[in-house]
Amino acid sequence: MPTSTVGHTPSLSTFLKSLKTNDIESSIELLVSLLKRRQIRNSRQCALATTHLLLSVVAKERIRDAQKLIERIRSVGRRLVAAQPREFAVGNIVRRVLGVVREVAEDNEDSSVGSELLSPGTPTTPGTSEARRPHLPKTFSEFTPLHGAAALPESFQTGLHASSSELESLAADSKPQRPSLMSSTTSYAAQGPSLTSLFSILQHPAGRSPAGSPGMSTPTAFSPSMKPSSSRPATPQRPGTASGPKEKMDIKAEVIDGIKELLDELDVVDSQIAENALDHIHSNEIVLTHTSSQTVQKFLMTAARKRKFTVFHAEAYPNNHEATHATILNGAAGDEDTDERWKPLTDMGITVILIPDSAVFALMSRINKVILAPHAVLANGSLLAAAGASTIARAAKTHHVPVVVLSGVYKLSPVYPFDTDELIEYGDPSKVVAFEDAAFAEKVDVVNPVYDHVEEDLVDLYITNLGGCAPSYLYRIVADHYRVEDVDLSSKEGVGAAVKAA
Amino acid sequence: MGPKVKKNAGKGSKTEDVEKEPPLQAVVHLDAFEDRFLPFTLERPRCLLTLANTPLIEYTLEWLASVGVEELYLYSGNHTEQVEDYLNSSRWTRDASPFTLELIHSPSTSIGDNMRNLDQKEIMKGDFLSVYGDIVANIPLEAAIRSHKSRREKNKSAIMTMILREAGDYHRTKDHHMRRCFVIDPATDRCIHYEQVKPRHSPRLNIPEEVLKDHVEIDMREDLLDCGIDICTPDALAQWSDSFDWKMPRKDFVHGVLQDYETFGRTIHTYIISDGYAARANTLKTYNAVSKDIISRWAYPYGPDMNLMADQSFQLQKGTVYKEDGVILARSSMVGKKSVLGKATSIGEGSVVTNSVIGRRCVIGRRVRIDGAYIWDDVSIGDDTKINTAIVANEVSVGRKCEIKRGALLSYGVHVGDGTTVKEDTRITRTKRKREHENNEFSRGPTDNKIVGKGGEGFELQLDEEEEEVVEALRLGIQELDLTLVDDDISDLDSDEETDTAYEQRSNSRTTSFTSNASDESGETRRNKADFHHEASSSIFDALQREQDPDNIQLELKALRMTSNAEDSQVRRAVAVAFSKRITNLIESGKSPKEAVDSSIPANQRLITSCVKETEEQAEFLLFLQTDLVHRPQGNKILLFAVNVLAENDMVDGEGLKVWWEDARSSASEELEAVRKETKQIVDIMADESDEDEDDEDEDDEDEDDEDED
Repeated sequence: MPTSTVGHTPSLSTFLKSLKTNDIESSIELLVSLLKRRQIRNSRQCALATTHLLLSVVAKERIRDAQKLIERIRSVGRRLVAAQPREFAVGNIVRRVLGVVREVAEDNEDSSVGSELLSPGTPTTPGTSEARRPHLPKTFSEFTPLHGAAALPESFQTGLHASSSELESLAADSKPQRPSLMSSTTSYAAQGPSLTSLFSILQHPAGRSPAGSPGMSTPTAFSPSMKPSSSRPATPQRPGTASGPKEKMDIKAEVIDGIKELLDELDVVDSQIAENALDHIHSNEIVLTHTSSQTVQKFLMTAARKRKFTVFHAEAYPNNHEATHATILNGAAGDEDTDERWKPLTDMGITVILIPDSAVFALMSRINKVILAPHAVLANGSLLAAAGASTIARAAKTHHVPVVVLSGVYKLSPVYPFDTDELIEYGDPSKVVAFEDAAFAEKVDVVNPVYDHVEEDLVDLYITNLGGCAPSYLYRIVADHYRVEDVDLSSKEGVGAAVKAA
Repeated sequence: MGPKVKKNAGKGSKTEDVEKEPPLQAVVHLDAFEDRFLPFTLERPRCLLTLANTPLIEYTLEWLASVGVEELYLYSGNHTEQVEDYLNSSRWTRDASPFTLELIHSPSTSIGDNMRNLDQKEIMKGDFLSVYGDIVANIPLEAAIRSHKSRREKNKSAIMTMILREAGDYHRTKDHHMRRCFVIDPATDRCIHYEQVKPRHSPRLNIPEEVLKDHVEIDMREDLLDCGIDICTPDALAQWSDSFDWKMPRKDFVHGVLQDYETFGRTIHTYIISDGYAARANTLKTYNAVSKDIISRWAYPYGPDMNLMADQSFQLQKGTVYKEDGVILARSSMVGKKSVLGKATSIGEGSVVTNSVIGRRCVIGRRVRIDGAYIWDDVSIGDDTKINTAIVANEVSVGRKCEIKRGALLSYGVHVGDGTTVKEDTRITRTKRKREHENNEFSRGPTDNKIVGKGGEGFELQLDEEEEEVVEALRLGIQELDLTLVDDDISDLDSDEETDTAYEQRSNSRTTSFTSNASDESGETRRNKADFHHEASSSIFDALQREQDPDNIQLELKALRMTSNAEDSQVRRAVAVAFSKRITNLIESGKSPKEAVDSSIPANQRLITSCVKETEEQAEFLLFLQTDLVHRPQGNKILLFAVNVLAENDMVDGEGLKVWWEDARSSASEELEAVRKETKQIVDIMADESDEDEDDEDEDDEDEDDEDED
């Protein structure tokens, strides 16, 4: 329809279309302003847009060197994160992509340099790298705030290297297996790459025993896996010089493959989460949910195919109630570019009862399970979700009703909430008090928080696309998905995070 | 289709675009031809004034980008160089900019001129947006544009859609000196009648009979906030061109088109939105209101923490405080609710800042109290100073123990000495405008230590320099005339909100510029005298410009005088003003004052002699000329030559000059003195001559009057 093309408000779909024709710089600029103007919002859209953008950054730019590529992605990532620091998915995706690059680079290192494991994130000479190491133990269980300086317990780092060494052990396969893609429904601990890595470490103990480093690297549970990291000093070559031209070509192709896998993951994340539905929703249960989240709808629909249950749906006034009403009546909207809607739950014979947010506490005693969809999940197991979630979680706690959170791994952020007020975005007060009601609005401060922060102890279970896990275990998933070097995107240097944290 | 795609296609080859839908175009009027931001606009264009630490134009451009505009034309009048410099260094002119942008410097004096210029250029290929450069908005226009287009497809004569926001009876962002009343047919959204009503004036609307006959249902709405966002068709431009005297998009254009509906059948429609934010920061009062709205997030996501400019780093913190990186707060200082603090600003021990916006690199001393103030960049404020609801521009320094009271405006670079109290509603500036028309020249004005204290720098700018002084001068004498100038504006002092009174007063000062009548929205019929004066002086001026035969001019003048029942003195005033305007005009086109005077006055001698005969009349004419020249560049020179020529050609004589010279009104103010100073020589000579003549005949002064030749 030609009339609608002119003056079409930019959105995710227009962005994705324009990505094909535009040069990188204008695409970045466009995404930055779309994020700023909130024309792309919510975790899923942000994640998709970021992934597509980074894909074209990698694909279109002639960067063959892993280190340069990392720098480039970091700089793009910094701009995107700065544009909208409260959309955690953007930063998460950037970190994931960086992880992909590092992994690919390390893999290539392996094949060319032999059994040496070198992080391309360490461009510096072995001496400085060694000098940096001793600081690491201090970062144990030390976390950093939202604006840039997020960090991890130092032990995570060991996990990272452990997974790398797992890769190394699989080096015969040309393509790296990324742990995030394993959609096994078993507990994550069971598949634990760290275990594999332990084996692999034991296989090559001689090449890695560092002199004097065990004293510094103290984290108890994982101390054996600390070794790969301290093996760096032994590596004489820098990544750029070490790798031949042939396999530089591969880096790019492999990174692109990796990002595409990430896209696939974003595509199937809801279905993967929904696979768990039958384990959690039983016949004749009464479930309470909130907002118009696609993930929750899909989850409930999967359960509804086999079982009959009742859903109480809080409307999430004032920011999401219209979408919630629409979801209940007409089914959840699909992705933005497709106009298809899923069938509403009621079509499947489920009783859905819409309730105002204020009625949550009154009804909680009747409810068997609360299902929430977060905006972002933080490293300590707390989460940000649409305003009203905190009330629900607290009511559930009072009534000892289990709270289940459905979250794709892409929503999981390595950020630790220091100041929860700062994490919360304040929206348009006119949704609460009409703009026309000036006499009121001028004399009263009207605030409309878009998100609530829900503490980790109010959540009983997270269901991710990797399966279920307790809030206290999330840090492990964080460790498996994000490189410690990448947690702090704001620092210029690849390994700056470690230095800064020290 | 994304804007980017279009843009690239456009870059690649123009021909490809032809089959496609033309890109969305927009025209932005950066200059609204008003003086409401004086004295700040003396040095900066309005669109670069900062609102919550971001230049106004950024909000407008960002919004236009967000609605998918792909081609943008900016019309700029004053300070075009500054706007150009700013844009060149901004992200809007880079390759990654979402639209192509063209800055057009126009010497125009009204929105109408811009539109006519646009029509001549023929750059608008399809429907386009017309907005002002001071809009802060977050509304999506997709639906509005779609409804406009579908209406267009059905009916070619629907030439414009006005976007209006429901804002209730009273809203702080609404224009309070002008209540706009729209009569709308809700079935078709057609605006069938439009009127501007001033508060406390004309409580009735003149709705034409046909309107009531033709429409089954009509809405009369006065609650709509009109921020000048229009979706226009190229047809609308043609309408502007057809009526060369239309100036304002509402009063002239909408009104005119609606009036001609019977003849041409062109319609104007409305699109009323009920969510989203749209407001203009076009007066100091609305500047205050929009700032507050932005800070309390009514314009979400547009707010300081959106960091519109690349180098900004605002973060929203508890209690709606926005802080940029590197703000230094002393431990005992307090930053209260709804404040914005720019980068590298420091606040000293014991200071309290509430409801205020503070720019970058400001140094606030100890125990300072700032409430409701707008402090721009690089300001330093001494210890123990109090500032209450004022605007303090860049690089101002305020000494210790000062008090800046409500409604004071300190313009760029002003210094206020220690221990000074700046009174309510004082406008202090360092810059003086030597000016007429667009070619502004600036110079440092003299420092007035009474106002800025010892060691200060700056002087008080009179409320509305060009008019106020004329009014003041005339008020002393010719009572019936001053009323014609002081129109509706002494109103609203009893406005409902105390805080805003200060702003109100100023915002109500004339929208018009005395000389150009550029935005005279106040031309209501009841003010015959003002109308006569405006009409007469501008028609004479036009005639002079076209070098018409003075007899014709005179004839025209006479007719005009008859129709509006004007008095002789008014005619003289009109003639005087027209001449001074014409002379200034000639000087601007490069002539020297002498040449200008020589080429305009003698040729039209008859025009002057026809209305200036008696001694008193001569004196009055000279007085009018003098008062008008007060605010013209080189007024003193012009007066000198003009008096010389007038005297040479016997249009005035020594007696007239003398009476004029001795008239208290001609030396009523410093400016008047300054203008006439150089003329003294002639007066002396002429007076001497006439005295000598007298002496010869009769030594008695009483006979002076008899000296007149005619």
